[in-house]
Amino acid sequence: MNDCTNETGDTPTAPLSRRERAPEGRMRDGFEGGGTPDVTGVVAGVASALALAAGEETTVTWRRDRKGVLTGWCRLPSGEALLPAARAIAELEGRLAMVTPYLPERSQEKGGREIAYHFDLDGATLTLTVTLPLEWARIPSLTPIFRNCDWQERELMELYDVQVVGHPDPRRLFLDHTITHAPFERLVPYSTFSNAATGKALWDRVLGEREDA
Amino acid sequence: MNTRVIKLSAHQLALEEPMYFRVRLEGDRVADLDVLPGQVHRGMEHLVMRRNLYQNITLLERLCSLCSNSHPSTFCAAVEEVAGIVIPPRAEYLRAVADEIKRIASHLFCCAVQANAIGETALFRRVMEIREIMQRAKEAIYGNRMDLAANVIGGVRYDLTPEAATYLARAMEEMKKPLDELYLQFGNNPALMASMAWVGVLPREAAVECAVVGPVARACGIGYDVRRKSPYGAYDRLEFEVATQTAGDVRARNLVRLAEARQSVSLIEQCLAQLPAGPLYADTLPEIPAGEAIAKSEAPRGELMYYLRTDGSDFPVRLKWRVPSYMNWDALKVMLKGEPVANIPLIVNSIDPCIACTDR
Repeated sequence: MNDCTNETGDTPTAPLSRRERAPEGRMRDGFEGGGTPDVTGVVAGVASALALAAGEETTVTWRRDRKGVLTGWCRLPSGEALLPAARAIAELEGRLAMVTPYLPERSQEKGGREIAYHFDLDGATLTLTVTLPLEWARIPSLTPIFRNCDWQERELMELYDVQVVGHPDPRRLFLDHTITHAPFERLVPYSTFSNAATGKALWDRVLGEREDA
Repeated sequence: MNTRVIKLSAHQLALEEPMYFRVRLEGDRVADLDVLPGQVHRGMEHLVMRRNLYQNITLLERLCSLCSNSHPSTFCAAVEEVAGIVIPPRAEYLRAVADEIKRIASHLFCCAVQANAIGETALFRRVMEIREIMQRAKEAIYGNRMDLAANVIGGVRYDLTPEAATYLARAMEEMKKPLDELYLQFGNNPALMASMAWVGVLPREAAVECAVVGPVARACGIGYDVRRKSPYGAYDRLEFEVATQTAGDVRARNLVRLAEARQSVSLIEQCLAQLPAGPLYADTLPEIPAGEAIAKSEAPRGELMYYLRTDGSDFPVRLKWRVPSYMNWDALKVMLKGEPVANIPLIVNSIDPCIACTDR
């Protein structure tokens, strides 16, 4: 896996300047559905880097909005492809912008969940989506590659039933330790979920602490 | 050396929102830092999935008070992107006006709080007085001093009458001289230099590693501004410079903010001059189809990002947002290392932290 990332480093990709992007006011163009786009640096760089890192079958669909801003969408063939793909993006000087775990109903019926990783490539946003099983979901930690993935992954772990393998600091981030694990996957009373900021749970806790003292 | 661990609360950090720090000290210097968020965790990412897209505009506006225009406008941009809605040109300009008014008020608030943190109460009062011009403008135009309620899906829900535009132009004229003065003060005043220059330094490499955004990044020489890198709304037709500094210290961050506030004045003037006639919102909205979209904007604190996934119903399948403060907290570990305890409140406030936004 490592040797792949070395090769991707050889693909020079000059970041797009604002002028090189689509002319203003142009509608979403032929990127979707395999038209013949004017292949720009980012598009070509990402395609070759991902193909090397995650396998030839990895395709990225690019969309361009009316202002010429690019968003790329890619489904990784497997969870194992995430780490090499992330390394390839780090080589392209990409920045991890956000991680979105979610349970769409459609994939839940198939027994799956999804996590979307959003990367910024000098203004263009590339989203890599991985599909994981509903139970015993495991995903490698990207924190060793992108330091700012730390909080993103800690939040992911406490809200969803996903194990992040190799996270350097897998503590709870926002939620109190007394709250049941993975509240986004089961019904949790609202006052409990919001750290008992309001309502009966808070009152009970205050009284409880007074009795302890 | 004498090592101990102290816990700092919001009050000790001079923050107006709850956030706790666990700080390891060696002597009187900071050796390590652990940020303990979650005190205002309201489960908002869960709440937005229980409300339809229209109700969410109202909810997201209440996410936090200082970014209360960036959240609904970026959310609306995400919905518009999913549904292919094109907002009228006048709406694009009016969204920019609301954004820039909030930016000036937010940046000035941050500078004022820092003046207060170093005991410069006269300066604190002066900055808040200047900010008051913007607060009054908000009240006059939007009817509210914090939440503007300016956005709807497909456009905006307020208009600038010729009288309101004249009033706003006059308010902008009133801002120019004080903002230039403040820039000189924060740049050159010896007392401010003594407390802010070379304090809380974030080197450029560390800034890249922590992936900080907004004025914190631009103060380290990273010229990233969403308005320039991924233009949205009216920003592709407005002229402005990306304000940067290289020192990466508290002073540099404030100079970036004050330079941006001054630019915002110019941006509002450009909007008023170019404001096209026409409708305020798209009058018929299509069904929101199933799809996914990313929307980004430059909130006062930096890049704000929304991811929306829909399934054809009125309720979002998933709505996730990442606020600019989210990564900036981690950079405090670098900024505070080796600093005396007395500098902690100033440095913490110099990243302009937004706790309600971070916790959601």
